[in-house]
Amino acid sequence: MTSPRSPRVGGSPARLEALLRDLGPRLVRGGGEVPAAGCFPTGLAEIDAALGGGFPRGRVSEVVGPGCCGRTSLALALLARTTAAGELGAWVDRADAFDPASAASAGVDLERVLWVRPRDVGEALQSVEHVLQAGGFPLVLLDLCTEAAPPVPAAAWPRLRKAAAAAGCALVLLARRRLAGTFADLALELAAARPRFESGPDWLAGFDTRVRLVRSRTGPREPDVAVHWRAA
Amino acid sequence: MAARARIACLLVPALPLAAERRAHPELAGRAFAVASGPGPRAEIVAVSPEAFRAGVRACSSVVHARAACAALEVRVLSPAHEQAARAALLDAALGTSPRAELAPPGAGAYAAEAAVFADARGVAALFRSEAGFAGALAERARRLGLPASVGVAASRGVARIAARRAAQEDAAAEGAVCVIEPGGDAAFLAPLPLDLLDPDDELADALSRFGLRRVADLLRLPERALAARLGPGVSALLALARGEDHAPPPPVPPSARLEEAADLEAPLERLEPLGFVLRGVIARLAERLACRALAFGDLELALGLEGGGRDARRVGLAAATLDERVVLRLVMLALEAAPPRAAIERVAVASVGRALRGDQLDFFRPAGPAPAALARTLAELAALVGSERVGAPALADDPRPDACRMAPFRAPKPREPSHPGAPGTLAVRALRPPLPARVRTAGGRPSWLESALAKGPVERVSGPWRTSGRWWSEMERFAFDHFDVATADGWVVRLRLDLLTRRWEIDAVYD
Repeated sequence: MTSPRSPRVGGSPARLEALLRDLGPRLVRGGGEVPAAGCFPTGLAEIDAALGGGFPRGRVSEVVGPGCCGRTSLALALLARTTAAGELGAWVDRADAFDPASAASAGVDLERVLWVRPRDVGEALQSVEHVLQAGGFPLVLLDLCTEAAPPVPAAAWPRLRKAAAAAGCALVLLARRRLAGTFADLALELAAARPRFESGPDWLAGFDTRVRLVRSRTGPREPDVAVHWRAA
Repeated sequence: MAARARIACLLVPALPLAAERRAHPELAGRAFAVASGPGPRAEIVAVSPEAFRAGVRACSSVVHARAACAALEVRVLSPAHEQAARAALLDAALGTSPRAELAPPGAGAYAAEAAVFADARGVAALFRSEAGFAGALAERARRLGLPASVGVAASRGVARIAARRAAQEDAAAEGAVCVIEPGGDAAFLAPLPLDLLDPDDELADALSRFGLRRVADLLRLPERALAARLGPGVSALLALARGEDHAPPPPVPPSARLEEAADLEAPLERLEPLGFVLRGVIARLAERLACRALAFGDLELALGLEGGGRDARRVGLAAATLDERVVLRLVMLALEAAPPRAAIERVAVASVGRALRGDQLDFFRPAGPAPAALARTLAELAALVGSERVGAPALADDPRPDACRMAPFRAPKPREPSHPGAPGTLAVRALRPPLPARVRTAGGRPSWLESALAKGPVERVSGPWRTSGRWWSEMERFAFDHFDVATADGWVVRLRLDLLTRRWEIDAVYD
């Protein structure tokens, strides 16, 4: 028969400190919301809270917004967190805008990223399908920010959604405006950023933006959150 | 004490026939013959059993052969097919034994045969018996499209004779096997006709004149007296008859470079029909690689062109793969990107075989993609977008601010989770190539900007930060002044002034 009382923690504070140090990043702080098992967190507390843990596995998510709004910063934060957890990620870069130095500054483990640079939208969609079919890439980011209205056939989204579900992969689409329609389970809309310059001498310290959850099949949590990005 | 030598000989009795049947599988079961060249006067050098039954004989002309069998299909002797078949025979041997070598070509009645020697020491433990090993060898050759017989004995010469004997005794059956138990060479050879030892024509005539028909007849006579009467060539024949073999065991091949080629009967000008030829060549190469538990590495494509020209090119593969479809697509993409300048007469594809990575899963860490699936995917992606556009991003060892490098993607080993650092770092999107801009300055700093991206007054600006390098090279030197600029229309961009050309460009956008 077990005691109804909580077991007493034995040992000295030094042992407890050593244990905490050894556990390191695997330690989840109590009190906050525990990330859902099927999600990839971004590490940004406000956004993870709004999404209920992070970007869902096996689903299509969209991150949309105008030119300078923080889409890439958000995607790199997600990729950094994913690769740090030992997973692989793929970046299908139709825009040919992925910057390895910037990604490394954001904490991305570059060895764990498959970078594909297709020349057109058709190649980009086929590349995503190939990566999803390979399995083993639980996060795939598709960057379609080049054009305002990329020529994506309507039939592509149900195919990609089905492939992502079969692979248990979080497929995240970066674009200027929403493209996947009802086939996206999650959509975040980022507002144009306000840059923060600091004086003496002038330097770009970062920028502030607002993120709105415009679609969520799991139910809206936090409709509008502020995010602050700091320059590397 | 050194282990007793055991040698297996894998033998194809009629290489021209086997090579053509391997290159053209549709010939199986049909009456066909191989001619020494094109045209009706060419000599028939090999005849399929179906054609032989129809009355076609070797050494006749093509006209006579067609008169005997109207449905006869005639193929021109192809050195490329023969060479590839010989190499495939070696691959079949290397698929079962680490040491193997091509046997010297036969002469006289055995000039058409091809043979390979493989080290057969210690194989009984792997294949239950030497007969099991011999059967496995023959089966591998059969899978590569080469009907072969196998002999196993204590020396190369006796093993070859055993293989010849097996082929003669069981001509109808493919994969006949003859194993001579250790110590049984002399008893095996004694009753055999001397012709099986392949003496040259002059020596064969002399032996016949002396009334020597069988190996035992030869061994009964003193060597010195024989050499005095029949010349020094008889000594080699006697050594063969005694089963003597002073050569070292077959060596380990120095490299795994495999080549498959095809001579075309008519030059091809268009790429579409060439695709069909390449499909067969690549399929045969894939079978050989699979036989040796290897996969395609980078490809070397060599085309013989009409008029004597040659077109050689290298096709890179992102990862080792055995998917023929993907390899064919890569080769066709390379050809379509830069078509050959003349009609094609000969095709050769070579590849250094690479081992497919083994898969070791971990209980507690995330499993990456299966190596075979990853290799196939990388190859398909390379075929789709180009091999130079697939890989892992890497930091370039280059001082230029826009330097970017793509390394081959190799799935890293699983590892413990680490901490990615504090999130919320502002990222940039690179513009490749940089976007030209028109800029007005005030006090040396941008005050107004016009480009395809942003247009209007500059609200905030920071900089300049100067980067320069490679000053010692006229072609590669660079010097830029960088500015971070926020425009009135909402863009935050990285602007640079090329100090050498005095041009303004936007090389990145903050996002």
